[in-house]
Amino acid sequence: MYAAPFSYHRAASLQEAVKLLQELGEDARLIAGGQSLIPLMKMRMARPTALIDINFVSELGDIRTPKGELHIGALVRHADLEHSAAGATIPLLHDCAAGIADVQVRNQGTIGGSLAEADPSGDWGTALLALDTSVICFGPGGQRTVPLEDFIKDAYTTVLAHDEIVTALHVKLPLKGSGGAHLAFKRCAPVYPTASASVQVMIEDGNMCKDARIILGCVGLTAIRAKEAEAALRGKTLEEKNIRTAADAARAAADPQSDMRGSADYKRILVGTLVKRAIGIAARRARGESVEAGHEYAGR
Amino acid sequence: MDRAETQMAGKSVAKGKRKKAVRGASRGWSTNGAQAAPAKWVGQPIRRKEENRLVSGKGIFVDDEKMPGMLHIKFVRSSYAHARITRVDVSKAEKFPGVVCTLTGAEIKKQVQPFIEIGPGGAQKIADYPMAVDKVVFQGEPVAAVVAETRLAAEDAAEFVEVDYEPLPPVVTAEDALKDDSVLHSAMGTNRNWHGVFEYGNVEKAMKQAAHVVHIGRLHFHRFSSTPLECNVILVNWDPRSGDIEYHCNNTFPSFASQFLAPALGVRIDQIHMKSFDIGGGFGIKITSYPYMAVCALASRKAGGRAVKWAETRIEHMQASAHGNERTFLDTRVALDKNGVILAIDSKHVDDCGAFPRYEPLGCVIWAQVLPATYRVKNIRIDMHQVVTNKCPVGPNRGYSRMQHLWFMERVIDICGQTLGISADDMRLRNYIRKNEMPYKTPNGCVYDSGDYANMLALAKNLVGWDEWKNKQAAARKDGRWIGLGIGSTLDSGTNNFGQARIINPDAPFSGQSKVGIVKLDIYGEVVVSMGSVPQGQGHETAAAQVVADALGITPELVNVRPGFDTAHNAYTGHTGTYASQFAVTGLTAIHGAAMKLRGELSRLAAWKLQAKEKHLEFGVGAQGPEVRVKGTQKAINYWALANLVNVNNAGMPESLWDVTLNCRHVFHANFQIPDVKRKYGNLTLTYAAQVHAAVLEVDRETFQPKILAYACVDDCGKAVNPRIVEGQVHGAAAHGIGAALLENCAYDSDGNLLAATFSDYTPITAMNMPELLYGHLESPSPFTLNGAKGMGEGGAAPVHTICAALQDALYPSGVIIDDSHNTGDSLFRSLQKAESGGYAGMVRVEHQRASR
Repeated sequence: MYAAPFSYHRAASLQEAVKLLQELGEDARLIAGGQSLIPLMKMRMARPTALIDINFVSELGDIRTPKGELHIGALVRHADLEHSAAGATIPLLHDCAAGIADVQVRNQGTIGGSLAEADPSGDWGTALLALDTSVICFGPGGQRTVPLEDFIKDAYTTVLAHDEIVTALHVKLPLKGSGGAHLAFKRCAPVYPTASASVQVMIEDGNMCKDARIILGCVGLTAIRAKEAEAALRGKTLEEKNIRTAADAARAAADPQSDMRGSADYKRILVGTLVKRAIGIAARRARGESVEAGHEYAGR
Repeated sequence: MDRAETQMAGKSVAKGKRKKAVRGASRGWSTNGAQAAPAKWVGQPIRRKEENRLVSGKGIFVDDEKMPGMLHIKFVRSSYAHARITRVDVSKAEKFPGVVCTLTGAEIKKQVQPFIEIGPGGAQKIADYPMAVDKVVFQGEPVAAVVAETRLAAEDAAEFVEVDYEPLPPVVTAEDALKDDSVLHSAMGTNRNWHGVFEYGNVEKAMKQAAHVVHIGRLHFHRFSSTPLECNVILVNWDPRSGDIEYHCNNTFPSFASQFLAPALGVRIDQIHMKSFDIGGGFGIKITSYPYMAVCALASRKAGGRAVKWAETRIEHMQASAHGNERTFLDTRVALDKNGVILAIDSKHVDDCGAFPRYEPLGCVIWAQVLPATYRVKNIRIDMHQVVTNKCPVGPNRGYSRMQHLWFMERVIDICGQTLGISADDMRLRNYIRKNEMPYKTPNGCVYDSGDYANMLALAKNLVGWDEWKNKQAAARKDGRWIGLGIGSTLDSGTNNFGQARIINPDAPFSGQSKVGIVKLDIYGEVVVSMGSVPQGQGHETAAAQVVADALGITPELVNVRPGFDTAHNAYTGHTGTYASQFAVTGLTAIHGAAMKLRGELSRLAAWKLQAKEKHLEFGVGAQGPEVRVKGTQKAINYWALANLVNVNNAGMPESLWDVTLNCRHVFHANFQIPDVKRKYGNLTLTYAAQVHAAVLEVDRETFQPKILAYACVDDCGKAVNPRIVEGQVHGAAAHGIGAALLENCAYDSDGNLLAATFSDYTPITAMNMPELLYGHLESPSPFTLNGAKGMGEGGAAPVHTICAALQDALYPSGVIIDDSHNTGDSLFRSLQKAESGGYAGMVRVEHQRASR
């Protein structure tokens, strides 16, 4: 389990990292937490010729809250978010962060790396899509801001140019009266979920859904925004019938594949149920209730 | 038979609340006429001696070891399950910088004899070489190896080995294997490597007399493994000067491995030196690592006598070390009387051993240790077949061969109970062997030593809250919820009689059971124990120290137990290893015997030196350490002085004491006979630990995921030498079983590709999946062992049976028959769909023959 030969470069700044990406060419890869890349390299399924380590670039590991926004540095570890004040204010973020893989991965893996990897089963690509999230990218031409829905193009594919780096995520703080939840089913701790659902709702007058965002994870080549499911809730009361319609619409929007995690038919069933339950929890949270939720595990 | 002491430690470990267990008064050694010693330490839940070493990073595992000039080996493996090898070209790899040499199957074939086959007849013709010669028969089978100065160089160079294959049709299921359309081993001419009928009583007569005959369709016990934290690791040096082969490795049955290696490699068995220190888990799955041990030795020899190390990767371990046996149960008929008492069972079982038999076909008889399971059924016919398939060879996997059969028997009990409308607990009580029938002779001549299954069940039901859950279940069913209650009763047969191999092959030259213990007083009077066992986390150092402390009247801290196994200690026989639930009986009896011999020698020496009669002496710990003293006097001699007399200061010692060596070796024997091969009859195992588990689970109506709501384990392994270790083993076995039932599956696709080659797909159970375990303990001392203990630790895969039973109970009203040992949310979703479309019609059929009876 040794990687194929590669050279190692430590970047002191974003500018230096970009310069190294340009100099070292297409087969160079950035390394941050390394929780996907290193296992792939050890199995020689990934063979970068050079690794550019950005762990020592300062200021990428901060969580800031300028007015109305949450800025998450690309090097923020999953565990940082799990234990952050931001996670406490936006429960959906805590749901997601606290259930990613296992403790070791959460301590080392980064949110920026997870999004840039664009694994179809990654949790962040699903959870953050339920919020208004922009990806801040830095390249030779300076900085640009890409809405998350435009950032991930396909499985393992983003809009990032080879010499571009994710530096931060900017999340709009949900308005008063809104609440969200990220639910996922995992077979055991260290693996990706079989299916996940992120839901953010805004409620008026106790049970009227003013707005809804419903995202499905692990059931397509990218996270899927289930717009018909959202429409089934928007402007309607959050009663069982409407929630069921939304869950059915979510099932129809899913496009899963069969694998060791489950058959396509089963994943479709599962994701609809997760959506249904996530709506319920999101609504309760929107009403100010404190509800524990997140990843669930086989057998328990 | 002693009255079983009920000892229950109702504790909820996950919450960290540990109530102190109430234990009965400790008792002395029970039988065998051995000199009785006060049992002071045996039975105490003392902390393990090895714990500090292991948790503070001071464990020594094979991969921590280095030898001067050590090289590294990398295997090149087949990506095909079944293919002819048309070309192997190692020339490019040999030119790679750092490469010392390569090996190919064709080259190895000229240097070794194929491994011994245990099976008779055609199976003797299987040519099992340690690397594929002209065809590959499972994915991951090694076809070549590269030996280099560094592991990195070996891995880099291995990519330049070119192998061409011509694919052959793969055989993936047992049923396909029986068709022989594609044959793995052409010299054998068939894929069926063993067949035998185990028939006892009069099955047909019982079928005719029965009130009900239940016919059950295909049942399937899935393939899973043990995934020890430490994979196989081998460090070997074949010394060109002496011709000796020195192994540092974590094979857990070194005597078995040596007996396979010596003839294959053409060396005398005494030339194979094996050593282990700490081992990161084994569970049986490391017993069959000897093909890799052979290749590594040949690599060392080819490299000019330089040491070679192989540390298996997880993917290699999953693809090509060993898996547990898969078994399919066909055409089952069960005869019952009007009260639901089983009169007879008739069934055809097909065991799938993967590409090479290796330890097999021993599994074709080992299940018969528990032929009637925990039940009184007298008339049994099992038509047993074993086949080879293009999958990873199997190896003994915790609960080996017995758990498959016990699962079958538990399914029979539950399916018959449900068919006849008898509850799961009642069905068991009607059929269990009674406590007052112990020792109980089974229809095939095995003797269950002791046990009280009904009491265990009562305890398990009480722990899990059975009656309360029954009420909740009834209410929940009205709300459409799928709650199920299940029981799993199992046996963990231990201390096996190798004579049962004669039932497999009448010419097998082995029988009985033996283990060695050595206890010596070293030059400065230190008590040193060398064990003939290969501990992998079972706490042997601690248990051995407890036994020796009691024998000599000292404390466990004063006993230095040598960790690990070493042929240099000469504490081995041909049966030596740690497998099949037996150390508490075989290993500890051997150590006790050695300690008592030492006690006798010390007594004679002290009597001479203290001018006293032996009967007036007592053993204990004085101001100057362990000593022997004259009762009621100040006269004493400590161990240093006693050792000094023999080892460095022996002038003047009377000739009558010259036979005293203070280095005492004892070999465990059991009163085993060779079974009657024709009738397949005889005592196959000495002790029968039992487990009764009870679980409540709910299948989520919307996700189909089974959730364990309550789980209880009740264990009876006779006298618990160290209750803390016993409880730890019960927890481990329970986790393993829950993992197997719900998560872990060595699934193959129809091309013979392993779909679970990484932990991402095999998903071994983690703490996040574990329910709180409610633990109860019962002690039915074995009348056949020195200390009343029974071997334990395997646990009979009780959770697999229990969870299947609870799933069956939850989904029976929906028409589902749980016919597989592995169930997931996905598979239950499909089972319910199958039930809706009538797919289980005819799976279970009952003939009410004489309802009037």
